[in-house]
Amino acid sequence: MTSTGFEPKIAAFVCNWCTYTGADLAGTSRIQMATNVRIIRLPCTGRIDPLFIIKAFERGADGVIVSGCHPADCHYTAGNYHARRRFTLFNDFIEFLGIDSRRITFSWVSASEGQKWADIVNDTTARVRELGPFSGYRDLVRSGLTGGQDAGT
Amino acid sequence: MSRIGVFVCHCGENIARTVDCAAVAKRLAELPGVAHSVDYKYMCSDPGQALIKQAIAEKGLTGVVVAACSPHMHEKTFRRAVSGAGMNPHFCEMANIREHCSWIHEDRVKATDKATQLASFIVEKVKRNRPLQPIHIPIERRALVIGGGIAGIQASLDIADGNREVVLVEKEPSIGGHMSQLSETFPTLDCSQCILTPRMVETYQHERIRLHTYSEVESVEGYIGNFTVRIRKKSRSIDEEKCNGCGACIQACPNRKSPNEFDTGLGKRTSVYVPFPQAVPNIPVIDRASCLFFRGRAKGAKKDVCKKCEAACGKGAIAFDREDRIIEEKVGAIIIATGYQLYSIGKEQANPAFKGYGEYGYGTIPDVIDGLQFERLASASGPTAGKILRPSDGKEPKRIVFLQCIGSRDPAKGIQFCSKICCMYVAKHTMLYKHKVHGGQATVFFMDVRAAGKGYDEFSRRAIEEDGARYIRGRVSKLERDGEVIKVYGYDTLNGAPVVMDADMVVLATAMVPQTGISTLAQKLSVSYDRYGFINEAHPKLRPVETNTAGIFVAGACQAPRDIPDSVSMASAAAAKVLGLFSNEKLEREPSVAVVNRELCTGCFHCQRVCPYGAIDRFEVKDRKGALLKTVAEVNKGICQGCGTCQAACPSKSVELEGFTDEQVFAEINALEWTGQGVSDEGGRR
Amino acid sequence: MRELKDLARRLLEEGAVKVVIGYEEGPVGVRPVFVTRPADAEKLVFNSKCVQNLAAYLSRRRGHIARLGKPAIVVKGCDARAVAGLIRESQLKREDVVMIGIRCGGVSLQPSEEGPLTPATVADRCGGCESREPKLADHLLGALPPAPPKATRMSELMAQIEKMPVAERFRFWAEQFERCVRCNACREVCPMCFCERCIQDKSQPQWIETSPHARGNLSWHFTHAMHLAGRCSSCDECQRACPAGLPLGLLNRKMAEIVRNRFEYQVSDDPTVPSPIGAFKQQDPQEFIK
Repeated sequence: MTSTGFEPKIAAFVCNWCTYTGADLAGTSRIQMATNVRIIRLPCTGRIDPLFIIKAFERGADGVIVSGCHPADCHYTAGNYHARRRFTLFNDFIEFLGIDSRRITFSWVSASEGQKWADIVNDTTARVRELGPFSGYRDLVRSGLTGGQDAGT
Repeated sequence: MSRIGVFVCHCGENIARTVDCAAVAKRLAELPGVAHSVDYKYMCSDPGQALIKQAIAEKGLTGVVVAACSPHMHEKTFRRAVSGAGMNPHFCEMANIREHCSWIHEDRVKATDKATQLASFIVEKVKRNRPLQPIHIPIERRALVIGGGIAGIQASLDIADGNREVVLVEKEPSIGGHMSQLSETFPTLDCSQCILTPRMVETYQHERIRLHTYSEVESVEGYIGNFTVRIRKKSRSIDEEKCNGCGACIQACPNRKSPNEFDTGLGKRTSVYVPFPQAVPNIPVIDRASCLFFRGRAKGAKKDVCKKCEAACGKGAIAFDREDRIIEEKVGAIIIATGYQLYSIGKEQANPAFKGYGEYGYGTIPDVIDGLQFERLASASGPTAGKILRPSDGKEPKRIVFLQCIGSRDPAKGIQFCSKICCMYVAKHTMLYKHKVHGGQATVFFMDVRAAGKGYDEFSRRAIEEDGARYIRGRVSKLERDGEVIKVYGYDTLNGAPVVMDADMVVLATAMVPQTGISTLAQKLSVSYDRYGFINEAHPKLRPVETNTAGIFVAGACQAPRDIPDSVSMASAAAAKVLGLFSNEKLEREPSVAVVNRELCTGCFHCQRVCPYGAIDRFEVKDRKGALLKTVAEVNKGICQGCGTCQAACPSKSVELEGFTDEQVFAEINALEWTGQGVSDEGGRR
Repeated sequence: MRELKDLARRLLEEGAVKVVIGYEEGPVGVRPVFVTRPADAEKLVFNSKCVQNLAAYLSRRRGHIARLGKPAIVVKGCDARAVAGLIRESQLKREDVVMIGIRCGGVSLQPSEEGPLTPATVADRCGGCESREPKLADHLLGALPPAPPKATRMSELMAQIEKMPVAERFRFWAEQFERCVRCNACREVCPMCFCERCIQDKSQPQWIETSPHARGNLSWHFTHAMHLAGRCSSCDECQRACPAGLPLGLLNRKMAEIVRNRFEYQVSDDPTVPSPIGAFKQQDPQEFIK
C-alpha cells in the first residue's frame, strides 16, 4: 500500500470474553495483520446495537466488524443468540436500503481463535479497500445529492 | 471538567519497539480534558504505579488511562493502584496497545497512529465513567441440597463440616440413592453399603444437617443469597417423633406381596415398610396404595380394615391421619444432586425423546434384567441373599450374557451420549458372577471398553485375564426365549461371523439418564437443562459445578453420567463453592450491572424477555395515594451479570449497563474521526 | 351501520365503557371520533373509507384519552393486530378494552375516497387479507363483504427496488430521505410507537442525528424499521400520514418479509403469541456470519 492509496478505517465491535480475548491471543502469538481496525470492547454481542454500526459509518468508518462468541458458548449464555437475530435483520435490511453488506463482517471468534481473528481483520480490510471509501454515506448531509452523483457506496 | 491522566507504557521493548510511546503521550496531551500525559518503561511495576498515584495527588486527576497491555492482564492492578490513591477504581481503564497493536504490526508510523487512536477512545470513554460502588447483598448462609445420594451426602457433609447449616431433601424414604443398591463398587470391589452407611449415619447425626426424607421441593423463589424454598414433606402415616424403628409394625403387616422398589421389583415387601435394613432414617413408611386400611377407606368401608400395625406398635407411632405438610426454609445457595435412573428399555418412556428396544424381550422374558437388578441379585441383602439366581425359576444360571450400550450411543433411540460407567460395571458383574458361580461362563457383547479412570483398565483386564470373561466385539440383534434358555443372536465383528449362543440369563447395560421430573425441578429453579434433562453447567471446562443461575450449583450424575469418585469430587467442589459464597456476611458483586431509568421506562418488557438470567422484575410505580401510575422494569442487582442484552433490546434505551453506557460507547465511536495527528478531519472532533 | 350505533349506545348507557373510539364522517372524509355520550353514538360509521388505525389512541402516551376511562374501540382485522401488540407488550390489559370488530371488505388509500374500491383506490395492504374477520374481538359486527381488489403499487415498487444494483438503490433511498422533514407524523400515527422517550429525542448521547438531511433521516427511518421488526401490524398508516410522500410502508413490508423468511413468523392478533425478536432458536440462520 502506498501512502497515497486509500486505507479503509474499520471499527470493530467485539465481545470481551471471546473475540477480544481471541484478539489478545493473536497478539501474544505475534500474528501480523492489517493496521486499519480499531477495536471497541463490549461485554457481549448482546450489547451491540445496530445504531453503533450506523454511527460508526457516520463517523468515518468505511467498514465494520462485529464479532463475538460462537453460539452455545456465550459467557452470558444467550446474549449472542439475541444478537444473532438482530444482526440477521440488520444484514438483510441494509441491503434493501442500498448499503453494501460487504462493508460489514459478522463473525464468531472464540478466545482460542487468534488466527481466525487475524484472517477476519485482513479479509475485511482487503474487501473494504476494494469497495472504496464510504464517503457516500457521510456525504448524505449535503443536499442536491440527487442528479446522478455517484454515492460511492 | 475532566482531568484525565494518560500513562503510555513501553512494556520494555514489547510496545516501544513498534510504537513511539513518547509521541503517543505527546499527541494525547493535546486532547481536551487530558491534564497529564507521560510515557514510562514499566507501568505495572511499583515505580510505575507510584507515578499514577503521584499524578492523581499532584494534578487532581479525575480519571486514569493506562495505554499498555490487555485489560485482561492488568486492569485489576491499575484499579487497585488508583484506589490506593483515593480514586474510585472505575475511573481507571486500559487501552490495549500491545496485544492489539505493537505485537501485530511492523509499520512504526501506522502502529503509532493506531496506538494514539486506541488510547483516545479510552480517554473519551473514561471522561464519562461513573464512580461505581460494589454491590452488597445480604446472604442467608444456609444451603439446600436436593438429593440424598452419594453426591448429596458428600456435599452436605462438606458444607456442614465447614460450619454452615444444610437442609438436605430426599424424595425416597431413605438417603443413600442408587449407591445403596449396589453390591460392590469398582475398581476396589468394596462392599457398597459398607462404605456408604457410615456416611449416611454421619449425615443423619450431624448437628448442622436438617434431613427431610420422603420430601420434595415444592417451589423456589428468590435469588442468590436469598432463596425461599417450600418443601413438601410427604406423609409416612407414621409419627416420626414417636417411632423408634423397632419394626414390630412390619412384622405384623399381613400384606407381603408388594413389589419392592429398592430390589428393583425382584423382591417383595409389606405395605408398611422400610426400604432396606440400613435405611436412614430407620422410620417406616405406609404405602397407601397397597395398605388394606387405606384401600378399605378409599372404597368407603364402614368399619376400619386391618390396622394390625397400629395394634403391634408399642409407641403409638402409627398415624393414619397424618397428611402431607409444606414447610418453608430460607437458604442462600442450592446444590442440585438428584442423580440418575436407568433408562427403561421398554416402549413406555418417561422422556418422549427416548425409544425402547422391543427386540430384547425386557419385561416379557423374566431372565432378561438390567444392571441394577443384577446388583440386587449379587447383593447380600438382596432378594436372593446374594446368590445369583434366575428370576424365572430360582435356578443358578450357568451362562450369563451381558450386553453393553443398550440405549447409549444410539441416535435411533434418542440417546447419543456414552453412559460412562457401564463398561466398568459389566466387568465387575462378570467378576462377581465368577466369584459366586465358579463354573459359570460370562460373555460380554461390547462395542468399546471404556475404562479411563485410575485402576480402571487394570480392573477391566482382570475380568478377562483372571476371571475368564469372554468379550465379543459386536451387538446382539435379538433375544428369544427357547424353552428354559434364552437364545442370543449376536455378531462378532472381529471374526466377521454371526454368533448364536444360549444363555440362562441376560443382563442389559442400559443408559444412565436423569431422574423423571428433573425438567420440572429445573424449571422451578430457573436452571437450564439439555434435551436429555441433564442440568447444564455454566461452562463445560472451567465452571463444571456451577449453573448459569447465580447461587445454584450442581453435583453428580444429574449433570452427566458419572461414577462414584467423580460424583464425590464434584460434590466437594460444589460444597467449596458454597462455602466460598458464604465466607462473607454480605455478598460483594462487581457493579457492572444494568439500571433502569423509571422515568423513561415504558414497561414493554422486551428487556425481561431477553435477559438470560431472569434478572428483570416488574416494579409498580405508584403515586402518593397508592394509585398505580405505571409498571416498569427493574433489574435485580444481585442476579444481573452485566451482559447488556437488555439495553440493546430496549427501543428507548431506558435501561443502561453501568460501565458500558450509551455515552461511553458513543464517545468511543465518536473518537473514530480523530486521527491523532493534530489535524482535524472534515466534520471536526466533538 | 345500525348495529354499531346501537351497540355503542348500549355500552355507554350501561357504563360498560366510558368512551367509544370509532369513525365518523367529517368535512373531508372519515375521521376518528371519541364518543362519550350515548346520544352521540349516532355519529359512528363504518365504511370503506375507514382506513385509519385507531389503536394508536389506546397508547398510554395519549393521556388525555386514557383519562376518559375504559374504552371500546372499533377495529378492522389489521387494527386488531396492533391492539394485540399493545396487550402483548404490557401497554394495555385485555380486560381494560372492549373490542368491537367489524367484518371488513377493504378500505381506500385515503379516508376521503368515495365510491367502490378499485385496484387504483384500494389501500395496499387489503388485497389478499387473511384477517377480514377480526379474531380479537368482544363483538363482531356486520356481514362479511366481498374480498377487496388487489393494489399493485407497493409490490411493483418493491420489485423495482430489488432489481436495482446496490449503488442505485442507495441513490433511490437517499432521494427519498432527503424529502423527509422529520415531522414525525409516522411516529405519532404508529400504534406500536409508544416509547415515553423516543430514541430520536435522546440527546446524551445523540444516536440519531436530528438534522433533517438524508443522513440523519436515514438513521431515523432505519432505526424505526428495526424497532418495529416483528411488531409492525402492517397498517401502512405511517405512509399515509407522511406529508412528503415517502414510501415508508415499503420499509416495514421489507422488514416483515425478512422476519417471515428468516424466523417463520407473522405478526398475530393473538396477544399470547410472542414476537420472534426477543426469542431465539439454537439453529437460527447464520450463513452470513463468518
